Amino acid sequence: MNTKKGLIATASAAAGLLVVLTGCSGNASGETSDDGIGPITFASGKDLTGAMPQLIEMWNEENPDQEVTFLELSASPDDQRTSFVQDFQAKSGNYDVVWGDVVWTSEFAAYGWLEELDAEKVAGPDILPAAVASATYDDKVWAAPFMTNAGLLYYRSDLIDSPPTTWEEMDAACEIAAANDMDCYAGQFAQYEGLTVNVAEAINSAGGAFLSEDGQSVAVDSPEAREGLQHLVDMFENGDINAAGITYQEQESANAFLDGDVMFLRNWPYVYTAASEDGSAIAGKFGITTLPGLEGTGVSSLGGINLGVSAFSKNKGTAKAWVEWMQSEEAQKVLVSVMNQASVRSDLYTDPELVEVSPYLPTLEQSLDNANPRPRTPNYNAVSLAIQENAYAALQGSMTVDEAITQMAADLEQAIQ
Amino acid sequence: MSTSLRPALRGPQKKSRPNRERDGGLAFWLVIPSIAVLTLVIAFPVISSIIRSLFGDGIGEAPFVGLDNYAQALWGYNADDFWAATGVTYLFAAITIVLETLIGLGMALVANQAFRGRGLIRASVLIPWAVPTAVAAVLWKWAFDPQGIVNALLGTDIIWTGSTVPSMIAIIAADTWKTAPFIALLVLAGLQVIPDEVYEAAKIDGAGAWKRFLFITLPLVKPALLVAVLFRLLDALRMYDLPEIMTNGANGTSTLSVLVVQSTLSQLKPGYGGALSTLTFLFIFVTAYLFVRVLGVNAVEQAGGRTGGRKGKKQ
Repeated sequence: MNTKKGLIATASAAAGLLVVLTGCSGNASGETSDDGIGPITFASGKDLTGAMPQLIEMWNEENPDQEVTFLELSASPDDQRTSFVQDFQAKSGNYDVVWGDVVWTSEFAAYGWLEELDAEKVAGPDILPAAVASATYDDKVWAAPFMTNAGLLYYRSDLIDSPPTTWEEMDAACEIAAANDMDCYAGQFAQYEGLTVNVAEAINSAGGAFLSEDGQSVAVDSPEAREGLQHLVDMFENGDINAAGITYQEQESANAFLDGDVMFLRNWPYVYTAASEDGSAIAGKFGITTLPGLEGTGVSSLGGINLGVSAFSKNKGTAKAWVEWMQSEEAQKVLVSVMNQASVRSDLYTDPELVEVSPYLPTLEQSLDNANPRPRTPNYNAVSLAIQENAYAALQGSMTVDEAITQMAADLEQAIQ
Repeated sequence: MSTSLRPALRGPQKKSRPNRERDGGLAFWLVIPSIAVLTLVIAFPVISSIIRSLFGDGIGEAPFVGLDNYAQALWGYNADDFWAATGVTYLFAAITIVLETLIGLGMALVANQAFRGRGLIRASVLIPWAVPTAVAAVLWKWAFDPQGIVNALLGTDIIWTGSTVPSMIAIIAADTWKTAPFIALLVLAGLQVIPDEVYEAAKIDGAGAWKRFLFITLPLVKPALLVAVLFRLLDALRMYDLPEIMTNGANGTSTLSVLVVQSTLSQLKPGYGGALSTLTFLFIFVTAYLFVRVLGVNAVEQAGGRTGGRKGKKQ
């Protein structure tokens, strides 16, 4: 159905191009107008939900003279980023609007690849503050938050009465897991971006941080950061996290929980749907809550997608109007109900109709209230690698927590230069 | 292309001097197109990467930094990572080549026998080679999962991709599975040109199977075998997909190529990445050169490679 719609959209776009017939393909640069109004190309990651053409069609019907062409890139975030970077470096302007992971916004902005956006229009009071923070770099807003995400703690409600709110309570509950011949906790601890997310949550929840607020100096060499990392190392050492947990990415950890092998799981909201489906071994036997922390609710890492307008776009007027529309209630309702993703509009978390479809929304909102963007720096990938390598060494036991944090501080110093 | 021209020219060169001059002129013009193409596709990227490696990274105009990027890798802040990656790259190359040569030779000997279903064996031996490396890496990643088939078959509980030695074993196993057939293929081609008469004569003289292998098969297949090993050496030293996909470079399995991609694409440091790739290029070049010098002059000459061409020039 969706493919059909996509085909129709593509066909009509092609027909439109034929009518104006400029003889060139792509973004039809021949018909660029000076005020920057006209057709644009939206380059996004692979649309796993299949609903993006629906959103684009809604816009195109209302704005036939500012048609949006949907360009679907790879499913791998690394490959998407490489495509964007190549387009930006060539200053081609082929991609008018790019869909970017929240951690890329600072980098793209620092390189001068993004057009500054009007904070009043794309970062107003109805947009979640944590999402706005992820789109902000150097006190300016460079992208329109479109989709957001935060970690949740999944727990087995058939085994424990009330979910833990602190690490201490969780440790205590691990005895129940042992009594049921289960592992206690699973997260994402393989050496990849997910490890940065999990370690950031542990360190932020203990009151530590990797970098200063402005991203200009290293802040990880602190007792708080050590305490946060120590918590994860302890859980590996005392078996609360299965030794195999060091190979888990999102899907492996979700599978362990869905198979009923583990009592607590840290993961994104998408697991909720899979766990509630008919045929799931744990349907009706699990609950969700915010992540536990050192003293009370923990700090989640923020995920999600920001939409940036390319500095090399020829139709910036349309591009800006389109990203604003993508934040509108109309578009965001499609995001929540059809794409099953979390909105950046705070008012949609309490909408009864949406909550009925996605019961995790109120908990997710709480988690988002306590969410932190990962370090905001133009050198994000180098920073993340420094975090991953040293945290992994500590979890594996080849470095002590103290050595790992000291080395991490030195590596981060090198990374942000 | 240029190499294959030379032997053809060698004949007339010796016969008459005046012709040689004319042939030289003609050869020059005939070779020009190939040189132009080679310059475009080989020299240009190599040189531009070397030039880029002399400039710094970061936002804005890249400043000229001379050899700083090389210093950073060789004895500067990143020296530990760089030498660890160099070490593990050579370690992988050494172990996989030994295993693949032994297994590949065995496969070729079996596939060279006359028996029913030989075609089937030959085809099935080649399947791993036909699978794209990235796909093979994903398959082996699943196989080496803590709950995967490898642990199930061995009855073990090893977390293969969770610590150094098991990770390396997993990657070496995957690489061996993937490329032993390549060696088998080249060796099989070498085996097929050994005439049966030689074996028959040896048999009549009373040589047993082992002796026939040692004194006939091995010396006669050596040229093909060495070419196969040389190709594998070049390949193994730029190993990327398997560690990248199976361990993401964790547990000390980051090879030089993993570092290059990490710096150039992921961290947007084309200067430092350029220095790393130039160093990798040098390592591979020197290693291959030594290999050809020490072991393979004859092999390469017989296989019609460039050493033969060079010798012709000297005459």
